[in-house]
Amino acid sequence: MPHGGTGSARAAGAAPSKAAQSAAKATRKIRKTGMSTNLKVTLGVLAVALAVLAGVVLVNRGGDSTPVAVAEAVVRPDSHRLSTAVDSKTTVVEFLDFECESCLAAYPSVEKLRAEYGDRITYVVRYFPIASHPNSYNAAHAAEAAARQGKFEAMYKKLFDTATVWGHQQQSQAAVFEGYAQELGLDMTRFKADVASTQVADRVKADAADGETLGVQGTPTFFINGEKFTGRPDYAGLKAAVDASLNS
Amino acid sequence: MTATLADTAAKHPAGDPPTLGYRVIGWTLTVGGLIGALAAFVLTVEKIALLSDPGYTPTCSINPILSCGSIMTTGQAEVFGFPNPLIGLATFPVVAATGAALIAGARLPRWWWLTLQAGAVFGVGFVHWLSFQSLYRIGALCPYCMVVWVVMIVLFTYTTLHNLDRGHLPAPRRLTNTLLQVHSAIPTVWLLILTALIGVRFWDYWRTLL
Repeated sequence: MPHGGTGSARAAGAAPSKAAQSAAKATRKIRKTGMSTNLKVTLGVLAVALAVLAGVVLVNRGGDSTPVAVAEAVVRPDSHRLSTAVDSKTTVVEFLDFECESCLAAYPSVEKLRAEYGDRITYVVRYFPIASHPNSYNAAHAAEAAARQGKFEAMYKKLFDTATVWGHQQQSQAAVFEGYAQELGLDMTRFKADVASTQVADRVKADAADGETLGVQGTPTFFINGEKFTGRPDYAGLKAAVDASLNS
Repeated sequence: MTATLADTAAKHPAGDPPTLGYRVIGWTLTVGGLIGALAAFVLTVEKIALLSDPGYTPTCSINPILSCGSIMTTGQAEVFGFPNPLIGLATFPVVAATGAALIAGARLPRWWWLTLQAGAVFGVGFVHWLSFQSLYRIGALCPYCMVVWVVMIVLFTYTTLHNLDRGHLPAPRRLTNTLLQVHSAIPTVWLLILTALIGVRFWDYWRTLL
């Protein structure tokens, strides 16, 4: 930062106006060259960053999803159904993450509800892995690989029943999941190939993308006949909503 | 004579080598130290609150900030066997006091500045390790921790610039002058890189906000 300018400007203050003017000009010039190099560079960098941000926002804005697209996103033909209602009157969809403690807390309620209602409701499970859970994707991939051998429900149960064993560990639990697959009697060569395949990864991502389209921001998120369930995700709350739907 | 003075100044617009005044470094250390101390204090209080009430999270959120409670329960939150914010609680006030002394006109010896430099190096290194853990190992962001990241980057930059400027640290004068000429651009670029990394890492969530 320049200090010299102030001194000469002050000295010029006593002199005739012409000299004062030129001194003031010189001071401004000094300020510009010294001080504003920093300011210019800093503001320039910030301007570039803002421009990049604006570009990113504009490119990713995209149109809002149409209502039809949203309705279709709740249940896809290839979504995993744990049960299918004969009258297809009530469909419960759960977006879940196998490593989410809130999903684990809701799991006994869900199982109680499923046991109670059986084929009177369609129960659909969709993947919504949360990035802050280190093994959420690995678990979803294991479930999807099991699904490809017709064992989705068995793996779904296994993963929740053992969640406290493998959950919230920073190391990959893929080997643990392979052990579960073995216990379920799966073809291990196929299972390992599926877990590592892009098809399985894409299938999980497609579920998560549907969730994002529907405005899912966390797990567990339930939809009952396409309506987002806003009550407490426990047995009483879910039962009330399911009964309301069945009796409507 | 006055005209001559002005002319001389005009001919050598950059006559004065760029330098950080004691007021600039003084205020930077004071404000940075106070903000850092406040953030460390809030984090300590939150840690105590967390210990007495594990808390109930109704959902697991993709919002990296909402899942930040989980950060404080990780091993990284107590690297040295005690909660990390205690380090900041003890050291940021010293930085603030140093800054206040400078504003009041005190001039400190070289050993003081080198000690401050050592603290700044440790602090800036530590917050980068923590931010790496936060982004790529834990996958969540904690707002008050990020305040500390910002403060540490600014404090490190200005402490280092000051020490280079006053010769407490050896460096070619040309390099020092170049750095001084763009002093605030240094932390700006630094923080923008960090912001970009956060933007990319949690893109799945930010996208839902657009």
